[in-house]
Parts: sequence; structure tokens; C-alpha cells
Amino acid sequence: MHLAHQLVAGLDFPTLPQQLVNGLLLGAIYALIALGYTMVYGVLRLINFAHGEVYMLGAYVALFASYFLGFNPQAATTPVSTAFNLLVMLAASMTVCAIVGVLIERFAYRPMRRNSRIASLITAIGVSLLLQYGGALFLPNSPPPSISEKVNPYSQSKFTVTLVPPSPAAVEKAAKARPEFEKLQKEFDAYLARTGESRFDLSPAGKELRQRTQDAEKTYGDAQRAVESGGIRLIIQAGQLIIFVTTLILMGLLTFLVLKTKQGRAMRAVSHDFDSAALMGVNVNSIITFTFILGSALAGAGSMMNATFLGTPLTTFYGLQPGIKAFVAAVLGGIGNIPGAVVGGLLMGVAETLVVWAGYSPYRDAIAFVILIVVLLFKPGGLLGSDKVEKV
Amino acid sequence: MFWIKRLLSIILAVAGCYAVDRIATGSLDSYGQRLIILAGLYVTLAVSLNLINGITGQFSIGHAAFYQVGAYLTGYLSVTFYAKSSLQGIPWLVAMVLAGGVFAAIAGLVVGLPSLRLRGDYLAIVTLGFGEIIRILVQNNAKLGGSYGLNVAPKFQSIWLVLLLAVVCIAVCRNLLKTAHGLPFLSVREDEVASLAMGVNVTKVKVSAFIIGSAFAGAAGALLAHYEGFITPQTFRMDVSFIILTMVVLGGTGSITGSALAAVFLSYLPEYLRGLKAAGGGPLTVSGAGVIAALLATAFAVALIKRIMDAGLGSPTRRGLTYLGILVGGIVAQFVLSMGLSAIKPLAAAQIEAGQLRMVIFAVTLIVLMLLRPQGVFAHHEFSWDFVKRLFGAKNVKTTEIAA
Amino acid sequence: MMRERFSFKLALAAIAFGIAIGCNGGSGTAGSGNAGTSTPTTSTEGGGGTTGARSMPTAEGNKATGEISIGLVASQNGELRPWGVDCVNGAKLAIEEFNKAGGVGGKQVKLLIEDSGSNPEQGKSAAEKLISSGVLGLVGEVSSGITGQMAQSAFEKGVPLVAVGATNPSITKIGANVFRVCYTDDMQGPVMARFAYEELNLRKVAVLTDVKQPYSTGLSASFAKAYKELGGEIVDEQSYETGQTQFSGQLTNLKAKNPDGLFLSGYFPEVGPIARQAKEAGLNVKMLGGDGWDSSEILNSGGEAILGSYFCNHYNNKENRPEVKDFLSRWTAKYGGEPATTMGALGYDATMLTLQALKTAKGTTSKDLTEALENTTAFNGVSGAINLKGNAGDPPKRALVVELTKQGQVFAKAYEASEFKK
Repeated sequence: MHLAHQLVAGLDFPTLPQQLVNGLLLGAIYALIALGYTMVYGVLRLINFAHGEVYMLGAYVALFASYFLGFNPQAATTPVSTAFNLLVMLAASMTVCAIVGVLIERFAYRPMRRNSRIASLITAIGVSLLLQYGGALFLPNSPPPSISEKVNPYSQSKFTVTLVPPSPAAVEKAAKARPEFEKLQKEFDAYLARTGESRFDLSPAGKELRQRTQDAEKTYGDAQRAVESGGIRLIIQAGQLIIFVTTLILMGLLTFLVLKTKQGRAMRAVSHDFDSAALMGVNVNSIITFTFILGSALAGAGSMMNATFLGTPLTTFYGLQPGIKAFVAAVLGGIGNIPGAVVGGLLMGVAETLVVWAGYSPYRDAIAFVILIVVLLFKPGGLLGSDKVEKV
Repeated sequence: MFWIKRLLSIILAVAGCYAVDRIATGSLDSYGQRLIILAGLYVTLAVSLNLINGITGQFSIGHAAFYQVGAYLTGYLSVTFYAKSSLQGIPWLVAMVLAGGVFAAIAGLVVGLPSLRLRGDYLAIVTLGFGEIIRILVQNNAKLGGSYGLNVAPKFQSIWLVLLLAVVCIAVCRNLLKTAHGLPFLSVREDEVASLAMGVNVTKVKVSAFIIGSAFAGAAGALLAHYEGFITPQTFRMDVSFIILTMVVLGGTGSITGSALAAVFLSYLPEYLRGLKAAGGGPLTVSGAGVIAALLATAFAVALIKRIMDAGLGSPTRRGLTYLGILVGGIVAQFVLSMGLSAIKPLAAAQIEAGQLRMVIFAVTLIVLMLLRPQGVFAHHEFSWDFVKRLFGAKNVKTTEIAA
Repeated sequence: MMRERFSFKLALAAIAFGIAIGCNGGSGTAGSGNAGTSTPTTSTEGGGGTTGARSMPTAEGNKATGEISIGLVASQNGELRPWGVDCVNGAKLAIEEFNKAGGVGGKQVKLLIEDSGSNPEQGKSAAEKLISSGVLGLVGEVSSGITGQMAQSAFEKGVPLVAVGATNPSITKIGANVFRVCYTDDMQGPVMARFAYEELNLRKVAVLTDVKQPYSTGLSASFAKAYKELGGEIVDEQSYETGQTQFSGQLTNLKAKNPDGLFLSGYFPEVGPIARQAKEAGLNVKMLGGDGWDSSEILNSGGEAILGSYFCNHYNNKENRPEVKDFLSRWTAKYGGEPATTMGALGYDATMLTLQALKTAKGTTSKDLTEALENTTAFNGVSGAINLKGNAGDPPKRALVVELTKQGQVFAKAYEASEFKK
């Protein structure tokens, strides 16, 4: 009991809403990747180890597309970005990822269909390693490149949701401190321009002026921070919101596709029983190819959005961790189950962020596997999946 | 007769280890000795993984976790207790090896228990995840050195103990396989439900496989820690598990000889690649165009060979000749392609060192093997004295293979 | 059935044990090649031991009879590659010049290079490979984790080591044959602490550490200690791992503690995204760091968010000193452009220092080289004057605090080592 008390006492509850939002936004990316895993597992009963690498390639395609559109770091001038550029990058990522996914399926997985599942899994591991290390030979890896933030036209826009407004007194204080600070700031800049002194190597007069400026800045800064922490606000970047909304839309579309269309029925038939579906006139090969196209395109979309809006640096190994975590998310939600993949992904993101919130950030990556083991031991079908455990 | 043969084999094996050790320390520099030690450790790891994967049919791809448990816990014991302990020198190392085995066996028990309910692919991810959990736990533990790594003192440069461990591992696994003790393992591999129906205690078998396999890995880990004198969590990352897996797959799941030979071959290959020198004295490089051309040519050759394999036309000799022809054609194609691809400037300019190709070669090995010969080079065949006898023309040799 | 199997294995184990004990009675364990001892060696832990006296290695080291060679270990692959490549280029420039100027008494010196792959074990085996091929001295590395292990090997085998960019203080304590050409975290931490406290007037700083890198954990500790001594407050400490890309969780935690400054002690691949995500999370504070930020890529990955941040570096390409101008012109002549990081100059300095010591050494053995290195005074390196004599391997070097602007690194303030002498 005492331990629980200590644990709770160390938690910072006002940050919880923001952390939950962070977790959901992180989870949206996992959900996009998990959708690919779950669909492929549904039809082929194969863990597509190479899916994480398809995700990685999507990010690189987005990078090169951004270079092509003129956002090259070496370029003299950078154009202004519009939503059109984003769509071009998105289309490029999704197309290339779909093609890569189909190639992998055609040349590495299809010949293995008659072999045991373990043999297919080993092949998948081989393809994954090949893409990682082969890519490392040809793609820029070190220093890891990242997509210029100028590509994102929404980089400056953010949404603020105020749950608990800050105290009016604090807001007033900040408003009062501001003009004083700005005045002194101008004065100091003028002084520097006049005397030509360096900002950090000042004469006594200059030092005194800087001290006053910095004190005013501190007063203003403290007042501002009091405003920020006085209430509870949620800051959501436009880019992150786009990722989240896109994930939900794609999930909706995919569920509609699987449940209501002929293609979807065929997919479900194939995932039930290969041979019966073939006997019923379903072109199994084309259904599987279609599944891979869908899954890989989703991964490509996810990685393009991740790389563009969040500015993550790219290496050829950066798909490994998200790939494994997304697979765990798919298992958590119930493998083969499309809403399950999204639910699993979101839960995974929230779980990770809560671990960091609680102060155990070094163990962040371990939580995914702990979840996996717990789920597999107690509810192997996942949260939304069936409970029967296949023994054979 | 039987016991004499047995005793002779044991004495020969131990004497052989000692002899290799004396020769190595006499004539090789520390780099060469290091190669032998690494090969020996990998043999132990591959054969112990083969026990779990090949012989019992489970799919564990997190073997580096047991390696790590053995290495870190024995390293910690040495650092803390060696000075005060009554055992010094080699007996302490042997004690550490046994301790490493015990610690890893406990870990194997922990991992083996969930394996009862899980199928192949799920078990694979769970074992992988277990490896990651161990790595993260170690990394955040200051007593085990955290990210700085653990400096293990005292260091033991003991080649013959490494070889002895490999020999013991092979002996145990072989004896398990060839005698009635091993039949339950094989039956679990072939058909779990039928085994259950025949009264085999499937739980016990699976858990035993994990315990024995992980114990040897842990013992190898203890030797590694005391040889290198320095271990970090990065020493046991996921790639190491995949490398051991490649060795088992290449050798043939279920073949101890295969795993051992593949382990020696694959542990030496990266060093060989790194040591290749170009004419100018620097490391040998290949152009990017050459690498891509090689990959494409391999893909074509493999596709053709697989076509022919599946079709099964003609006699085996004819097929063999066709394969040879395809291989030659592949090499020619590689040259032609690489010349063609060199036209693309960035590809020709990218000079890749031979050593960097290591993991790519491993990956391609895995894929090609799975496509063409999933049972591995040696399949389920083992080396035996009867094989040698047959080689020298003796007829009517009693075949002692019990299990296929 | 189980019992039989068990007793069989026990028998085997007993036999093995017996043989083990028996064989030990003779000549002991297998030795470790050239210069090692055959009894188990106790390697010294980094950072251990008493302050003051560093012990000289007992091993003999290498002797050069015909060809003289020195070894370089650099991260030619892996995440530290940008620094490794600069380091190799700097070293190659140095040896070319040295050999052109006559070498050691007319004899040319050979530079053998091995790759550490950005990880400590490979670095250690690379160092051992070089030592067994007979190099008189070792140069390298850039990262403290790798250099620590190399220093252990160098101490055991009696070969001197000159570290290029490793700043963790424990490295030179390993032995009297370990030196470096850069400052240590004992200086870098207090420099940034003083800069934050006095120049930027920050009073509440949060620290974000990369727990996978010994460099980062060491620097964070050094900064926090110095900052608290000055009277500042460390409001929160969070951590992440190399290779992670999402930091919103940690940043939200930090923001809740209202810092007015953020100290990022990690390497540049993560610092860029952290800066971006910090600004997005609403953490508009001054950001500070150490020499791990030094790269050309950080402006791209950090974008707008990293402009106006400060970090501590070894020297600046725009300095007015003749050594810098000279070095840059020779670098441009051989490689084109300028070195992307300060490791080019540090690699050059470390190699040239070792080569000059070869000239002044009494003989061509490792022991003589160590002595000559210890007696180095007033070596005018590109990165500053390097004085090793009597300094226990750590030369007093100047630290430059630079500001990141659109034009790159701009000089902000210099701190002399004498200001921080304890």
C-alpha cells in the first residue's frame, strides 16, 4: 500500500490530459501500421516481418519526393509549401510502398505458401534484414536526414483546447509584464547596434542593461508560465490531428470495404479457408495481392505523415521498433480484426505515453512486450477477437 | 564395446580440445585466437537453439536473451565476489559457467511456460520480446553497468573451455536425439496432438527443451563475458538472435552437425570479408552497381532453379547440371548487369566495403535457403562413424538412425 | 527417464570439471598473445582509483624494428559516422603532411585505420587488432563509451592512446599512457552551467538525457552539479534512448515543471527532433547542449526550433587564428569544402601530436612514445594550444560556446580552462 501511495504521489495529474492526447496521437501511427499487419495475417496467417521496412521505405520516398519538389537542404531558395505538395508526397509514398509490398509477396511469400508457417516467417525475417541492411548501403543513413519542416504548410497552426482556464489574475500579471519587457528588449538591441559590442562580452554599462532586460524577461516569462500551468490546456498540432483523423477515416473505409463489398467478402473467405474460397471461384492470388497493396499503402501513408509532420530523422532501421510495436498492437486488438488493430494501436500509444508520464521513460519500449505477454497469456484472441485458442 | 567406444570418444574429444588450445596459443596471435573462441561460442549457441527449434519444433528467435542473462549475471558475480572467493583461476571460471547455465535455465523456464499455449509465430514474437525486455532491464540497471557496459574482471582467455563447452553441448544434444530420451522431443515436433494422444507429456518436453537450450546459451554467455572482459546491452541486440537463427537454418533445423558447421562458417565469414584487401591496401570495395547486380542475378537464378525444382523434370544428375548451368549464367548475368548499372552515376560511385555486406549476405542466405531448401544444407542428416565407414566402401553397415 | 539423463549429464560435467582442475595444474590458462599475461588479468574500471597518481602500464608495449606505424580507430560506419569520417580525413591530412616533411628521421610513418562501427565492442576489438599488428601508438575515438574500452586494452598492452573527442573524465584515469586533445566534461558541464546562469540569466533548468550514451549521462551529471553549485535549480530530469523519435511524453512532463531553460546532453540526431517537438509542445525556452550537437545536420532536423540555442564546442571555423586558417586552406585543397564537424580538426591535432611525439621520442618503442607524449608542451593545434605535461592526460583547452543561427555556428563566448581550475 505504501508503495502505491508513493507511486501515486509522484504522478503529476494536471499533465494527464495532455499525455493522453499525446498517447492517442502516437497510437494513431501504430494503428496505421497495425492495420497492414492484421490484414496480411488475416489472409495469410503470416507475420509480415518486412512490414516495418515497407514503412521505412515510405518515409524515404517522402523524403526524396520533398527533395524533388524543391525542399532540398542544399537548395538556394525554398519554395512555399501548399497542401498540393503534401498530396504529391502522399501519393508517391503510398504507390511505392504498394509496389514494394506486392513484389515482396510475389517473390518471397508466394513460393513459400506450401511450406510450413515457420519457413515463411524465416523468409519474412530475411526480407526484413535485407531491406534494413541493404537499404543502409544505398540510402542516406548517417547523419540521418529529415524532411524539412517547410514542407508542412500547417507547421505553425495548432489547436488549443482549454479544459481549465488559467486564473484571471495570472493573465493580468502577464499582460502587465509584457510591455516593460519589450521596451527594455528594444533598448538593449539598440544599445548593441550602437556600440557594436558582442552580446556576451559587454562593458559594465552594457552588462547592467542586459541584467535589467533579463530580469524583465524573467518576470514576463514567469508570469506567462504561471498562466500556462495555472489552467489545463491541450495543445494539438494541426499535423498530428491530420494523422489522427486520417487514421480514423481509413479505418472506416477499410471496415466498409471488408464488410460490405464483394472484394471484402472474398478477402474474408480467403482468410477463413484458402482452398474453399478457391473452389468458390475466388482468385486467391489476386485477393492476396490486393491485401498487400492495401496494407503497404497504409503503411506508406502513415510513414509519410509521421516523417513530414513530426520531422523524425530517418535511418533504415527506424521501421524496426514501430513495426514490432504495431504488431503487438494488432495482437492486442485481436489479430485479423480491423477495428481491433486501431483500438490496439491507440491503446499501445496511450500505454507507452503513460509509462513516460509516470516517470519510467527508460522502460518505455519494454511495456509493449509486457503487454504482449500478458495479452497472450490471458486473452490470446485479443480484446476484440475471439477467445478460442487454436492449438494446432 | 559400447562403453569403450564411449570412453574413447570422450577422452579424444577432451584431448582434442586441449590440443587445439595449445596449438592456437602457440602459433596464432590474439586475433586468431579470438576467432576460434567466437566460433566455439557460436557453435554452442547454434546447437542449443537447434535443440529448441529443430529438434522440438518450437520457434524461438530470442536466443540472445539467454546468452545475455548468463553473461551479465556471471559477470556481476565475478566483479563482486571473485576477490573474496576461495576458488581462484580456472575452477572459478568453471563455476561461473555452471552458474551461467543455471541462471539461463531459470530464464528458459520463464520463457518456456507461455510457449505451452502459443503457436509458432506468436511464440517467435514473445521470445523476441523477452530478449528486448532483458536488454532494457539491464540497460537501466546501474549495478550491471547500464549503458556504460559491464567490465568483467578477472578475464580468462580460455580456448579449451570454450571448445569443451561446445563439445559437451553437441554431446548432450546428440545423445538426446539418438536415444529413446529424444523421441518425445521429435514426436512433439512432428505432431503435437498425436503425441498428446500417445501419452507424451508435451508440457514437460517443451519446457525441458527450453531449459536445456537456454542453459547452454547461458554457459556460453558466461564464457563470453569473461573472455571479452566487457559487455554492453548492445552486444546482445536482436541482430545476434537473427545471426544464430541463420546458422541453425543454414545447417538444417534438426541437424546438429549442420548447425555446428554452419556456425563455424558463418562466424568466420564476416571476419574474412572485413579482412579482404583491395590492390591498394585498403579494404576491398564493391560498387553499388555491383551489389545490386548481384542481388538481381541471385533473384533470377533462384527463381529459375525453383521453377525446375518444383517441376522435377529429368533425372537428378540432369537437374544438377542444369543448376550448375544456371549458376554460371547467373555469374555472367551479374557482370553484364553491373556494367549496365554502372551507367547510373550514383550507383557506380557508391563504394561499399566487403565488411558492410555481412548482414546483407546473411539476409540473402536466409531467403535463398528458405526458397530452395528450407530443410537446410544438412537437413536431418548427422555425421556418424557409420557414414565414414560407408564412405570407404564398407557394405552392410548397420544404420543406427532411429528417428528420421 | 529424466533421472538417467540427468545422471548422465552430471557424469559428463564431473569429467569436465576433473579435467579442468587437472589441466590447470600445468601451465595455466591460455595466454593472450603478444604482450598479455597468462594469469587472469584484473582490468581497471573506468573512473576508479584514487585521484592524482595514474599508474603506468606494466606491459612492455610494441617495439618497431623496421616500419613505424600508428593506429587509428574511427567510426566509419554507424550513427557516429559523420564524426568518424571527419576524424579519418583529418588524420590522413596530418600523416600526409608529416611524411612529406620527412617523417621520423627520414623514415615514413604508416597510418593503419580500423573501423569501430560506432559501438564499444567493435572499437575494442579494432584496437586490439591494431595493437597486435604492431602499432606504436593508438589514436581515437570520438565517443567516450568506445574510447573507454580502447583505453582499457591500451593500458593492458602498454600502448599509448591519444583520444580525439572523448570528453568523459574517467578515460585518462585508466592509465598514465592515456591522453586526449580535447577538454573534458568536467569543463564542459560547468561552462554551460555558468553560461546559462550568468549570461542567459536562467534559474530553472530541466535536463533531458540520453541514457544509452555514457557521454550524455556523464555530461548531464556534470552540468547539474555545477549549475546547482552556482545557485540554479534543476527542476526536472527526463530521459530517452538513442534512436527514439517521439519525445512528447517526456516534454510534457518537463513543461509542467516550468523551466526557463532546457539542457539536452545527447547527440545531434535526437536533439533536432527534440527541439522541434519541444516548440510544438509549447516549451518556448532556451536550449543548451554540449559538443554532441556539433554537426551540419542539426540545423535541418531542428528547423526553426533550434535557432537561438547554444552549445559548447571545441573551436570554430571562423576563428582568426593562423592555425585555423592554415588548416582550412589545406583541408579545402585536399577534400574540398570545410570539415562539417570539429572532429576534423581534433583528428588532425591528435594524429599530428602523436607524430611529433614520435620525432621527439628517445627510441621507437611504445614506452618511449608514451614518455614523449607526456612531455608535450605548447603544441599549437588547430583546436587550440595543447599542453600535456603534468596535466594527467587532460590538456587545459579553451571552450567555445556557440549559437546556432541560420548561418550556422556563430561564436558567442569563450571560456579559458584556467577559469575553472579547482
